[in-house]
Amino acid sequence: MKGTSLTEEPLLSICLGGSRKHYSAGEELIVEYQIDAIDVTDIQAVEASVLWLTEGKGEEDLGVHFFERRLPADAEEGDLRPLRRFKIMLPNSPLSYEGAIMRIRWCVRLRLFARRGKEYVLEHGFTLGSVPPAPVPPPEQATDED
Amino acid sequence: MARLFRFLEKKRGTRRTGSNLAGSVGEALFFGALFLLGVGTLSSLLGPHDPGTYDWGKGGWLLILVAASFAIMGGAGLIWTAMRVGVSAERRSVMARTATELDPLSDTLSTAPEYPGLPELSGLINSPGVELSYRLPQTESAGWRLLASTVFALIWNAVACVITVWAIRGHLSGQGDWLFTLFLFPFVAIGGWSVYYLLRLIVIHTGMGPTTVEVSDLPLHAGREYRVAVWQQGHIRVFSFEVCLVCEEEATYHQGTDCRTEVREVFRRVVFEQADFLIEPIQPFQCTFLLTIPADAMHSFQGLHNSVQWRLVVRGSAEGWPEFRRAFPLVVYPGAATSQLKASPPAVRTPLIPYTPAMNGGTNQGAIINGALAATRVRA
Repeated sequence: MKGTSLTEEPLLSICLGGSRKHYSAGEELIVEYQIDAIDVTDIQAVEASVLWLTEGKGEEDLGVHFFERRLPADAEEGDLRPLRRFKIMLPNSPLSYEGAIMRIRWCVRLRLFARRGKEYVLEHGFTLGSVPPAPVPPPEQATDED
Repeated sequence: MARLFRFLEKKRGTRRTGSNLAGSVGEALFFGALFLLGVGTLSSLLGPHDPGTYDWGKGGWLLILVAASFAIMGGAGLIWTAMRVGVSAERRSVMARTATELDPLSDTLSTAPEYPGLPELSGLINSPGVELSYRLPQTESAGWRLLASTVFALIWNAVACVITVWAIRGHLSGQGDWLFTLFLFPFVAIGGWSVYYLLRLIVIHTGMGPTTVEVSDLPLHAGREYRVAVWQQGHIRVFSFEVCLVCEEEATYHQGTDCRTEVREVFRRVVFEQADFLIEPIQPFQCTFLLTIPADAMHSFQGLHNSVQWRLVVRGSAEGWPEFRRAFPLVVYPGAATSQLKASPPAVRTPLIPYTPAMNGGTNQGAIINGALAATRVRA
């Protein structure tokens, strides 16, 4: 059988342009990503996205600012592994935030769909804006709705 | 190693702690089994052609209804599971957004909002003010509570009256049931309490009078200054009256079958206060003051399950009255200070203002993965 055995996991890498961790709203973000240690025939699709998500007490909210899905047919010689680069303008909001019971986190997410339904995900976080963290006061109220 | 012992995964709302693939297979098996059970039961019930089986009271129709609902739930669940297999959360989110942005009367997609993730302004700017530009709606309307209390009091006391008459008639005819009469006392007590609560609400609602808040501009931008006007009507001596600028985080989550909402106040500043004054029916209390949104404040945020909400809260206490509290929503947009980077981002949790109550440990866990390059071997 052709291809790698998926007992060894593929290597995913993401690099943000300028080696920066913090960005201003409306600024340009350059993303480079690459896939390695997997046979070309084992890759079914690759998705790259720039998104924000919430973490904390509440259920997760997610907003996708940029999304691209590439199939082998979209790549040169059907190979999705070589370095790929894209540029986007970051939005004005929501800004990264570390609150008392919720936080908003920005990240670049790379998702690899391999054969037999296996998925591999890598996230690379960054900060949008410069909102200071909120204080952590004691719990105030919680309500139930059946 | 821990993965080997995780026979049952924990589901936190829509998030899973185990393998997505295993979860999808488990869901498909469950719904498939439900579908087969429903279809099998239906076919076995409908097979024997005995019309007497379906007479009312023999349970035949009930079994058919239950089996049909199993088949429908199983089939729909199986289709739903199959549709989600191999589709990432990001792709689903993009598809959903594209679907909602598609204008059926236009061939093009609507433009993305300038400030995504912020609440809609339409509900706030549709009411012009008398003195300033916009009149704010009230978030916690007393009208609904009053209506609910009225309905409850009416229904409860109607039932209480009927069973009281029933009990008295039984005693008069010499066939009184003392156990039933004892049960009547707490029932009537709850009815009496509901009438007292309703009267109290009516007195508060009519005595305090409405509160009106107007602002000079909307949306508000962090770091800028705005004018606010407040009117309080009624006929009352007020001991203390204050207007606070408040920011609250709100998070909604499922715990078992309950849907819980937790609210945490993260900012409070008194922007106006006055003590010991009289409000006359012909002369409502009025105050105008300047409101400054802190330059480093977090902007308003509205997600499906999480939000950051700014409000103007009017609170007061008056002679012979319970304390009243009325809240008016604001929408705060990011300011220049937080949209742009600072020379050195803060590394510690510093409060926006000193918070009065004692602070305890935070609930936030983990940290943002920062760095120029992230490269790792990861399993979904």
